[in-house]
This record gives sequence, C-alpha cells and structure tokens, in this order.
Amino acid sequence: MDLRAVLTAILVVAPFCGALLCAGLGTSKTARSTVVLVTGTVLIASALLLAPLVPFRLSATAFLGMDLHRLVQAADAVLLLIILYFGFKHRHLLIIALAVIQLVLAAYLEVFLVKGPLPTERIFCDHLSLMLVLIISIVGSIICFQAIPYMENHEHHYRVMKSRQPRFFFVMLLFLGGMNGLVLFDDLTFIYFFFELTTLCSFLLIGHDRTTIATRNGLRALWMNSVGGAAFVLGMIAAYEATGSLQLQTILVAPWLSGAGMYLLGLALLSLASFVKSAQFPFQSWLLGAMVAPTPVSALLHSSTMVKVGVYLVLRLAPGFIGTLLSESVAVFGAFSFLAGAALAVGQSNGKKVLAYSTISNLGLIFACAGLNTAESMIAGMLLLAFHAVIKAMLFLSVGAIEQHIESRDIEDMRGLYAVMPLTALITVSGVIMMIMPPFGVLLSKWMAMEAAARNLFVIVMVALGSALTVIYWARWAGTLMSDPFAGRFRPERQPMLTWLALGPLCAGAGILSVLAPWLYLRMIVPVLTSPYSPAYAVRGGGLVNAYGAFAILPLSVVALLGLVVAVIALKRAFRATIVSPYLSGIQTGEPQMFRGPMNQPVKAEAKNYYLDTIFGEARLTDWVNLGGGILLTLILGGAL
Amino acid sequence: MTRTAILIACGLAAGPVLGGLVSGLDRILTARMQSRIGPPVLQPFYDVVKLLFKEPLVVNVWQAFCAYCYIAAASIALVLFFLQSDLLLIFFVQAVGAVFLVVGALSSTSPYSQIGAHRELLQMLSYEPLLVLVVVGFYLETGSFKLADITAWPQPLLLKLPFLFIVLGYALTIKLRKSPFDLSTCHHAHQELVKGLLTDYSGPFLALTEIGHWFEVVLLLGVCTLFWSTSWIGMAVLLVVTYVLEVLVDNITSRMNWRWMLSYVWGVGLTLSLVNLIWLQQG
Repeated sequence: MDLRAVLTAILVVAPFCGALLCAGLGTSKTARSTVVLVTGTVLIASALLLAPLVPFRLSATAFLGMDLHRLVQAADAVLLLIILYFGFKHRHLLIIALAVIQLVLAAYLEVFLVKGPLPTERIFCDHLSLMLVLIISIVGSIICFQAIPYMENHEHHYRVMKSRQPRFFFVMLLFLGGMNGLVLFDDLTFIYFFFELTTLCSFLLIGHDRTTIATRNGLRALWMNSVGGAAFVLGMIAAYEATGSLQLQTILVAPWLSGAGMYLLGLALLSLASFVKSAQFPFQSWLLGAMVAPTPVSALLHSSTMVKVGVYLVLRLAPGFIGTLLSESVAVFGAFSFLAGAALAVGQSNGKKVLAYSTISNLGLIFACAGLNTAESMIAGMLLLAFHAVIKAMLFLSVGAIEQHIESRDIEDMRGLYAVMPLTALITVSGVIMMIMPPFGVLLSKWMAMEAAARNLFVIVMVALGSALTVIYWARWAGTLMSDPFAGRFRPERQPMLTWLALGPLCAGAGILSVLAPWLYLRMIVPVLTSPYSPAYAVRGGGLVNAYGAFAILPLSVVALLGLVVAVIALKRAFRATIVSPYLSGIQTGEPQMFRGPMNQPVKAEAKNYYLDTIFGEARLTDWVNLGGGILLTLILGGAL
Repeated sequence: MTRTAILIACGLAAGPVLGGLVSGLDRILTARMQSRIGPPVLQPFYDVVKLLFKEPLVVNVWQAFCAYCYIAAASIALVLFFLQSDLLLIFFVQAVGAVFLVVGALSSTSPYSQIGAHRELLQMLSYEPLLVLVVVGFYLETGSFKLADITAWPQPLLLKLPFLFIVLGYALTIKLRKSPFDLSTCHHAHQELVKGLLTDYSGPFLALTEIGHWFEVVLLLGVCTLFWSTSWIGMAVLLVVTYVLEVLVDNITSRMNWRWMLSYVWGVGLTLSLVNLIWLQQG
C-alpha cells in the first residue's frame, strides 16, 4: 500500500468514523471524549506524517468496493436533499429554490454535459493543500479538544436536560473530514460536494442551541452559502464548457487564457462562491449571525478553517486569471473588504463581533493578495492565511473562556480582566500583539502585501487606511484587558486542563512559527511558487529580502525578545514600587475610582472606550458597505465577460 | 561588522542627544514667539534626569512594562533608520511603540488617561495612512523601500514629491504633539484633559516616555531629510524651515477636536497624496 494513499484516506475518512461513533455512543461522556481525543490525535499524526511526502498526485477510483465517483454523486444528491428538507421544514422559500437549482444544474452537468469517463487522478496535494491540511488537522483538533470542557459548561449553564453533545461532536468531526477532503481533492465535483458539506455543517452548528435567533441565523447562513453553492455549480459548468475538464490542475494550465470569455466567467463564478464562503461584503451578515453559536464553532468554522476555503480556492485559481481585469477587480474587492471590515470592527464593543469583522477584514486582504497576483503578493497571502488561522483560533478560544467566566462578551465588561483571569488576559493580549506587531507573522504578511500593492493606488490607499483602523480596535481591546488599579500578585486562574492545553500550544505555536517564518517560507511556500510565479524573496541573515524591501525577522525577533526581557524585569521591579491611585482631579476617598465631589459626597469616576459608532457603527456603515461590495462584485462578474 | 556596530551606537545616541536638543531649541523658539526668554537649551535634559531619579510610583504595574516597550520600539525604529533598513518596516516598528504608550495609558482607570489614550488612537488613525502613502511615494519614485537605495537617489526627492512633503508635515505636526492636533497630550498647559495620555505616567516612567518621544521626533525629522538627501545644506535648510513652521503653527492655532482632525487630515492629506502618487505613476 502506498503510504500517501493511506494517509489521505485516514485524513478524510477517520473524522467521519469518529463522527459516527460520537453519534452512536449516546450520552456517555467519557466514551465521547475519548473518541474526540483519539480522532484528533490520529488527524494530527497523519497530517504530520503526510508533510514530508508532498507534492503528489494519486488516482482514486473506488472506496470499499464502490465506484468513488458514483459514491460522491450519490452523497451529493443526498446532501442537497437534506438541505431541501431543512428548507421545507423551516418553510424557507429561498433555500428550497436554491437547493432545487443546484440539484438541477448538478444533474445537468453530470448527466448531459460530462462526456466519457473522467480521469481518475483525483487527489492532488501540493504544499498549499498541505498547509490547509495541517491547519485543519492540528488547529481544528485542538479546538475540538477545547470544546469538550466548553460544551460541558455550556450545557450546564443553559440547563440543557437531554445532552445534545453527541450531535454537536458528530457535526464537528464530520466537518473536519469534509475540510480535509475539500483541500485534498482536485476534481471539482468532489470539491463541490465537500463545499456543500461544510455549508450544511455550518448551518447545523449555528442552529445548535435551538433558540429562535440561532435558528434564524443558521437559516441565513444556509441560504447565503447556497447562493455560493449555486455559483459554484455554474462556475463548474462554465469551466467545463471552456476546457472540457473538471480537474482543477488541468483547467488552470494556461492555453485557454487568450480571450476565452467562458473560461474567465467560470473562474469569476467560482470566485463568487469563494467570496460567499469567506463572508466578504455584501455576504458578511451570515458570519456575524454565526457568532451566536458556541464559541468552539466560531473558532473552528468561522475563523480558522471553513472561511479559509474561500481564500484557498481563489489562491488556487489565481494563476488562471493572472493579468486579466478579473484579477485586478478581485484585488480591489479584497482591499475594499479589508478596509470595510476594519472600519466596522472599530464600531463594535461586542468582542466576538470584533473578531468576526477582523476575520472578514483579514480574508479580504488575502483576496487582495490573490488579485494582485504577483509572486510577492501570493507569498503574502499564503503566509497570512497560515498565521491568521492559528492566532484567530486562539483569540476565539480565549474569548470563549472569558465569556464563560464573566458571562459577557462585551469588551466593556472585560475591563480589568487581568485582575480576574490573569493568564487568559495575558494570552489574549499576546494574541492581539501577534495580530498587529512586528516581528510577528501577521504583520510580516501585511508588510509584504503592502509592498506588493504599492503600484496599485486603489489597493494601497484602502490597505493603508484599513491597516490604521486595525491598530485602533486591537490596541483598545488590549488596553482594556490590562486596565485595573492594581492587580496584585500574578496567580493563574483555574480553568479545565484541556482549555490550557488548547490555548498554550496555539499561543506558543503562533510565536514560534513567526520566528521561523523564513523557514516556513522556504519549506512550505517556495514549492508552490511554480510558473507563472517565482520565489520572489531570498532568505538572508534570517530575514526575507528582495530587490526593493527587507524584513530581518530573526534579528528583529532577538531584539524584540531582549526588549521583552528588559520590560519584564521592569514589571517585576514595579511590583515593589509604591502603588498610587489614578489621578481623578479631586481628593481620593481611598477606594479606587472614587473621589470627594461637591458637598463632600463620594463620586465614582468612570470612563468608557470610544467606539465611534456615529462614524463606524453598523447602523451607519452596513448599507453603504453592502452597496460598495455589490458594485465591486458586479464589476468582477461583468469584467469577466 | 564594526560599521554596523557604530551605526547602532549612533542611532541609540542620536535619539536622546538630538531629540533633547531639538526639544530645548523648540522651547526657546516658542518662548521667543510669545515674548518670553525661555529656559536654557539643556533644560529638557535637566528635567528628564530629575524625573529619572524620582521614586517610582505606579498606578498599575503594566504601565512600567508599557513604558519600557515604548522606548524599546522607538529606539529600535531609529536604529533601523541608521542601518538604512526598509522604510515600511521602520514605520511598523515605530507604530509598536505608539501602541504600547496607549496601552499603558489605558491600563490606568483615570478618565483623563483613558480619554487621552483614545484621542491618541484617533491621532494614530489620522497620521498612519499618510505615513504609509509617503513611503509608497518614495517607492514609486526610487523603486525601492530600502533606505540605502532611497538615499542614493541622485536628485532631491522634494522635486518629485512636493505634496507628499506637505502630507508628511501633517503627520509630523501630530507626532510632535503640536496644535491644532495636540489632542491627547502636549507640552503646554491645556486645561481640559490635564496631561491626557501621560496623566498617570510619573517619575522614571514619565522620563522614559519623554526619551521615547525624542527618538520618534528624530526619526521623523530623519524622514524629512530624505526629501533632500543629496546635499547636507539642503537637509539642514529643509529641517530648519520645517521645524520653525511647526513651532509657528503650534503658536498660532488652538487645539481642535478629533472629528475635525480626522476629517481634515484625511481629506486634505489623502487628496494631496493621491494627486502626487498619480503624478508619479503617470510620469
């Protein structure tokens, strides 16, 4: 047996088996936790074992004696029928209509259009796929581990009588398998099946709590992603008409490029499906609604993996539309999303919504990178994808832990969190630091993106503005967490072991990956940079250098570490310094934040953060941003014609 | 190797020495404009040394941490400038310092610090995009972000980037904490926010923020000299004219609010930058 085939099979099939076990084992908590832990460990091990074996292509014809293609066709039909069922159950006309359209179109494609047997080399794994597999398997599994104590608390808190955790973990694991399948297969019909599977999982998980608002938001996610699904089928049809193939690697080989309108239309429709999946404007509302789901869901689906499908697909498709108007308009669209997402995040005081908008914003920047379509920008996009997945997962898990502790997700309620949950607060603040500061990976990729975008005025202006807005909402949050008169000695709070085991490795991993960015670049990204791209950066002195820019990662990390050591020593010494009350412009009463006001009465001094919602509030911006996003989407589709 | 070491030492020394001198000259010039004599030119050094030896008092221990991070980032940014590194990278490193200064102020619960910190964030929001666009202007003209290439450019960049120089002036005014943009804190006695951002920094930590500020001032004045890097006289003229104008503007305008600042600086600054960048791209 070929090890590569075995590992690929494990990566896709093991989560499905784990999922079935979770559902089948009933309410036994120990058994379910064991299944989740074992499945996660198997996934992590397989992904790591797979790493040295890429790139490869494999043919896959049969599974357990059944023809694989027929199997996927049948599964696809079943999946659409399930969606149709939910459409009827909730009497949602749009979902019904979109499911029927997809069924008809998919049947048309498979039965009437596709001539002859399809090539069987369906599995394609290069380093981009590998990067996604590693993120899904490692970060995804860690999130599932943390979900075990989280869901226990969650059900306790909501006083759920009959545990619904079997269903929850069934869908979570199913999702991991679906994601691995999506990035490992090359055949569009297979990708489409997994694409729809993630849509369904997302719907089920958002609606998990069965409250009115959860159901409503779940349905919104379902119909919007069905729009993406329909665009995906149409894109497949157009691509097949133009190239006679459904293999991505065949489609993207360039000869069709000259003036093939149908071909570009196909790519534009596939990009549209990606934008929906990645919740770009004007489709952002499903992702914001998804924040009602339990936090591990937000971490897994809505920040680190599922929304990455969109950017993954467009990064894949990018060589196909290099140098076209389509590429240019994708860049502008992405930069617009980056700016608009950042602006809307500034206006939010709800922590999870800030994370959601920040996710949309960062995904927009990755789209912009794919659209700029130079070697430098592609490198930036791929690095950002990896770093964002790890750090955002960590931030979501921290907010989840905070939320369960203080029973609020509002940033104002997190004021002085350091006094209550010092370790979680510190991890969150380090996450924030890794999002906006050099020498960490997110900023490294942003720097690369900016240097790559400098010749495109539309893009660079929007990216410059968005980048400044990004700093505001992160700095504000970090400061709020550390705000307190005096925290006393550092004593880590109590949390379930699995929570620390999730937060710790993600935090350390993000830091170490940042320092190792040059190596990550050489090992994971250079192999993907085949024609028309080239390895644009050289690694010199532990930094990345090209003809017009240089980022000395390793030296800067060393210097930053020195600075950190000095600052920590200063911190330790400050514990011995005299602690005084903040200045309140009056005689203090001895209690923090109280001063003697008129008539000798104690007055409490209070200050809240600026959220600037007259400028950046949702009520003010959403309509305009949707309009802008809509216009740019029209430009993309029109430009492809 | 020795050259690198010398450059690093120069960078580390230039911040406190030049920054302190500029600050002293600034105070004398300001005093003369207000018909006063003003303090001796070395007064800022006396002040900082005195602060450094005061008893450390903190509101929140994280303020000490943030003050050190601020000065670390500010000095690294200036050292990178002396090492002729990537200009965009230098910009990002100095932004780290600015963020830590804000986080330190937010870690106090005093409303004065809090509001000062938020105003500082709005000031950053105003000037950061402009600084990025100035850097982009350098790139469009010279084809590089590296200072080594930018300083080697044979013509004075001011001729090609006149509007971007004005834009840099806006950013400089905000960074120097000069009116009308001195919203978060400033060197003069404005009443409504006490010392704003810096209200709860005291003693040695206040001294650190002051030295950090000197590093930032020297860095930005260094960026100004890039506009005429071909001759020493040009650099000196440019610096003197710019700084005198800054002090003049500081003395003839009053503190405005953040709404005005944001709309004015983005409106004028972005328009000027775009016009200049389009020239560069077409030319």
